[in-house]
Amino acid sequence: MRRVVLPALAVVLAALAVYPTVASGYGVRAMLQLFMWVALAGSWNLISGLTGYVSFGHIAFFGAGAYATALAIARWHWPWPVAALAGGVAACLLALVIGYPCLRLKGPYFAISMLGLNEVLRALVSYFEGLTGGGSGLSLPTLEATIPIYYAMGAVAVAVTALAYAIITSRFGLRLMTIREDEVAAEAMGIDTARHKLAAFLLSAAGPGIVGGLFARDQGFIEPLSTFALVMTITMIVMVLFGGKGTVWGPVLGAVVLFVSQELVWARFPYVHQLLFGAIIVAVVLLMPRGVLGVLQQRYRLPRTI
Amino acid sequence: MTPVLEVDGLVKSFGGVTAVDRVSLRLEAGAIYGLIGPNGSGKTTLFNCITGVERADAGRVLLDGRRVDGLPPWRIARLGVGRTFQTIRIFPELTAVENLLVVTEGDWEAACARARELLATVKLERLADEYAGNLSYGQQKLVEFARMLMRDPGLVLLDEPAAGVNRTLLNDLLDAVRALRDRGRTVLLVEHDMKVVMGLCETVFVLDHGEKIAEGPPGFIQGDERVIEAYFGR
Ligand SMILES: Nc1ncnc2c1ncn2[C@@H]1O[C@H](COP(=O)(O)OP(=O)(O)O)[C@@H](O)[C@H]1O
Ligand SMILES: [Mg+2]
Repeated sequence: MRRVVLPALAVVLAALAVYPTVASGYGVRAMLQLFMWVALAGSWNLISGLTGYVSFGHIAFFGAGAYATALAIARWHWPWPVAALAGGVAACLLALVIGYPCLRLKGPYFAISMLGLNEVLRALVSYFEGLTGGGSGLSLPTLEATIPIYYAMGAVAVAVTALAYAIITSRFGLRLMTIREDEVAAEAMGIDTARHKLAAFLLSAAGPGIVGGLFARDQGFIEPLSTFALVMTITMIVMVLFGGKGTVWGPVLGAVVLFVSQELVWARFPYVHQLLFGAIIVAVVLLMPRGVLGVLQQRYRLPRTI
Repeated sequence: MTPVLEVDGLVKSFGGVTAVDRVSLRLEAGAIYGLIGPNGSGKTTLFNCITGVERADAGRVLLDGRRVDGLPPWRIARLGVGRTFQTIRIFPELTAVENLLVVTEGDWEAACARARELLATVKLERLADEYAGNLSYGQQKLVEFARMLMRDPGLVLLDEPAAGVNRTLLNDLLDAVRALRDRGRTVLLVEHDMKVVMGLCETVFVLDHGEKIAEGPPGFIQGDERVIEAYFGR
């Protein structure tokens, strides 16, 4: 298995590395967005796919990272790579502050509390106009950096996937899954579920924070509505559910399939695209609650490394 | 000698229902104790209070002389309390062996070896890599039992281990419980089948409406007027 997978991975990564030298501007932009979705879906999987704590406002970390980075660049003139990392740190700090109380909430209450976090952050950003530009947005100094951002975004996508691999194949990852399976039993077996959940939550916030920062630099302009967009949270959830929650490659598969089909269909039939999206949600939930890889894993006893 | 478990004046109410009413128990090391009583008499709630799943309203719980009431369940588990649940609580989307591995610390290879060895003692070695959710009811019960043993707890609480289990499996389970006692572990088990209780327990506690109404050797308990009344109505 390893003998096939590792060389195949190396080939894909090498191809992606040389891609900007041969591709059109549109191609590079599309791939950059795909990287973003791989990182977002993979991060959501770390908390929600593994522990079952469904974060319905995960894009809040993306938004927090975007604003932290944009402020660092626009107000304090930090170089963008450092500012994007600071966006990741800001998202982790937010996760620490929010996770501590909210991860005590169960089921739908946690999901709704995260949705609330997203709305509160959006309102705050709109309110503090002096700092953030409020509803009219925040512009960054112009800079042509699509190709470096392409590599940075790719690196985050790889890092999130590698992190997922490391977690899911470890005892820590199995313990996170026990929280999803039966939290009471996990506690009764001596697993400190609160600490495990918080750790997973922090790890799941880092990727979106950095990606949000890179997004802000790439766009050169951010505003509250499109930065704290609920539809983006839903998109990452659907990607993970489609590919297989709690698996290493499920979020990658979901991001690729949904993003590509979205791009293809979107270009031609704008309304059909939304219909298709809704149909996929319903089909996955009804027919394959474990997602593509989840089903394969159960049926063919694939190892957790897949 | 300090008792392994001492429960002192424990009270737990849910709204108007007093599920556990001033219950006191003392368990000494290396013995099997029974906990009986009609449905709804508070047996499971008592287990939940001892293991920290529920917080008692009053009273104390001491493990080896150390107060543990108020500690979170995972801390109590790490102090050497293992339990199984009345309704099976395994991790269905983890394999049988993973169900045991999550409990371990330290060296991974050694942990794997120990987990497989424990599964072998309940005759599940061939199903170790099967998802726990795909196993039969009885097999899942065995996985839960083996998982409980991974930390080698000094005190074992079993909530109706024999319920819904066929004869062969029941005998294996009872042998395993005796083996625990012979290794100096203390067992407290909830059981309805009086034959099982008679054959296994040295001392039996009887609960009724949350109160402990009797305590003693099983033969003695069976003749107790209040016990007969609790079971056969008034
Ligand atoms: N979580 C709970 N909420 C409300 N009432 C409960 C709860 N758990 C138990 N009870 C009540 O407490 C009493 C004792 O229940 P339980 O401990 O399950 O009894 P047993 O295990 O002896 O059958 C019952 O009246 C039951 O309805
Ligand atoms: Mg009960």
